[in-house]
Amino acid sequence: MSKVVVVKNAGIRPVKKLAVDQYRLLLETGLGALFDRKPASAALSTMFPGGVVGMKTNCLTRKLNSTPKSLTDAISEMLEDSGIKANNVVVWERTNRELADAGFELNASSFGRRCMGTDTNGLGYGRTFYNSGEVNSLISRILTDVIDRNINIPVLKDHSIAGLSGGLKNMYGAIHNPNKYHIPNCNPHAAHISNLEPIRKKNRLTIIDAIRVQYNSGPGFDSRYLEYFGGILLSTDPVAVDRVGLEILEHCRLMNKLPALEQVGRPVKYLKSADAIGLGMERFEEIDLQVLAVDENGAARPGELF
Amino acid sequence: MERRLFLRCLGCGATATLLAQTELLPRALGGVQNACAFDYTKKLSSVEAWYYVKREGGGIECRLCPRRCVVTDLERGYCGVRETRGDIYYTLVYGLPCSLNIDPIEKKPLYHFYPGTTAFSLATAGCNANCKFCQNWEISQTRPEQTDNIDLPPQTIVDICNHRKVPSIAYTYSEPIIFFEYMYDTAKLGHEKGIRSVMITGGYIEKEPLKDLLQHLDAVKVDLKAIREQYYKDIVNAELKPVLDALVEIKRTGVWLEIVYLVVPTLNDSEEEFVELARWIKTNLGTDTPVHFSKFYPQYLLKNLPPTPTGTLEMARNICRAEGLEYVYLGNVPGHPAESTYCPKCNEVVIARRGYTILQVNLNNCRCSNCNNEIPGLF
Ligand code: SF4
Repeated sequence: MSKVVVVKNAGIRPVKKLAVDQYRLLLETGLGALFDRKPASAALSTMFPGGVVGMKTNCLTRKLNSTPKSLTDAISEMLEDSGIKANNVVVWERTNRELADAGFELNASSFGRRCMGTDTNGLGYGRTFYNSGEVNSLISRILTDVIDRNINIPVLKDHSIAGLSGGLKNMYGAIHNPNKYHIPNCNPHAAHISNLEPIRKKNRLTIIDAIRVQYNSGPGFDSRYLEYFGGILLSTDPVAVDRVGLEILEHCRLMNKLPALEQVGRPVKYLKSADAIGLGMERFEEIDLQVLAVDENGAARPGELF
Repeated sequence: MERRLFLRCLGCGATATLLAQTELLPRALGGVQNACAFDYTKKLSSVEAWYYVKREGGGIECRLCPRRCVVTDLERGYCGVRETRGDIYYTLVYGLPCSLNIDPIEKKPLYHFYPGTTAFSLATAGCNANCKFCQNWEISQTRPEQTDNIDLPPQTIVDICNHRKVPSIAYTYSEPIIFFEYMYDTAKLGHEKGIRSVMITGGYIEKEPLKDLLQHLDAVKVDLKAIREQYYKDIVNAELKPVLDALVEIKRTGVWLEIVYLVVPTLNDSEEEFVELARWIKTNLGTDTPVHFSKFYPQYLLKNLPPTPTGTLEMARNICRAEGLEYVYLGNVPGHPAESTYCPKCNEVVIARRGYTILQVNLNNCRCSNCNNEIPGLF
């Protein structure tokens, strides 16, 4: 059974974004629950026993609604606590410009945590085409050559074509030709992109940021459609975690009197396709969902999804 | 006149080969007064795109090609070179080609269009299809930030052509439809300064932009990839019908048209398809439309198929000629007699070719020197 942990912030509601410490509290609880091990650094060292760990962000919307630097900083700290050297932590995205615009400090040197786009000099996309279904793509050399394992860290939001932008959709940012794979509703392409061999093999963990959910008019930022959910989602199953994310997205739409995604022509069928090719679990009832609420002191108790 | 043509040919072959082999072109062109320094740039253009409508509730619909992409904020269309920002649609490749060369016009191939002349040839990244056999996929199937681009506004292209006495500009290599605005402005400016323009295209374009563009073009070569819709769906990732409509429209306007059909073993090489193709061309475009059957070589996503046997190309040619098509050529088979143009009336060679080189021209005022039969085209 696929396990998904949702950790909600039951402490002080942040004005805008969570700080590094606040994310750390959520991550400590979430990772501990996901791997049934405490402290989280012990869980992480089992999952990432060395080598170079990547963190694929989603920086499409600059500082407005991209993967927050405070979240990747919190994860980096924890990875370092678990024994990973700072220089073996790589925050990455398609381009350096996207990372810089989202507030990240670029660093491709051999000192300190690294942060770089695929367009960094000497990187780019590999020369081997990988195939799954109709998808034929070159893959970012950050994923194929630089890192050994990857943590996928998207932001939960609506997407004008895919319906849901979560973990699977975020891997469009790892291939050279994402524009070829959007119609219809990114199905089955979103499933097949994550099924490309290097992506499937290296993606070990998905952590979706769902502090503020943009439930409509995505993937660009639109302040009219933001809902405070206040949580993060964690799983080693890339499909199950998206499926729970979809539940949250649809709930936010319902609360704001918007029709379900299917009714507006954006059914999220690619999760079923992903399940069909064995990438993960799409059936909500078969997902082992654990919801926890964490107060400002880090004390956790069972919580409700909504 | 024919002798001058012959000499021009030798010159162009040498120039193009030298430039291609030594990659001297940027430097060679850089010597032109007022030309830019040809430094590669990573910037993308922000020129508002043409042919799109804003949608109620956000986003735009692109009406440049039949794909009609609906594109919301910060997303791109299928071609990867057009992006919505807010509710404005932008072309990201205006004035930013990634591939340049001076080619013989025969390389396009255009065999009935000023033979032996050269064309300043350029392309940007991007394409509105995804042919599994694409030989230029490294530029056509990428986004402009993945290619090395050169800052080259239309005025500079026209200046270079005038300076180097290159009579034509060819929009080619990738798919020029997706850099429409850049091509249109360059072709228009070129015409004002006496430089011709030719488009080498898959022909997957909407009617309105095509009509507008044809006013500034002198010739079009269309890659008709097959005569079956299923092939377009499976191998090209586009549709056949709009391409056929575009062919008819080009012919109707009188802009010079030639067709290339890449023969891919087992996928579009049956006798029935060649008969269908010949009959469609005969009925809709006329028997005087040149058709080039080109040899496929395995590459990109079709590496599992062998090269097209020359015998298959010859079969295609024989079928088309039997159906009445008058100018049927074979491409990618250097030295084959079917590279040359024969007078359909007396069967004499009117233009002898080997590869991209013109060996002999037997034309008199666009007529066969032997029997005075008119040969269609621009000579
Ligand atoms: S030109 Fe590009 S964006 Fe426009 S419809 Fe065609 S593929 Fe889509």
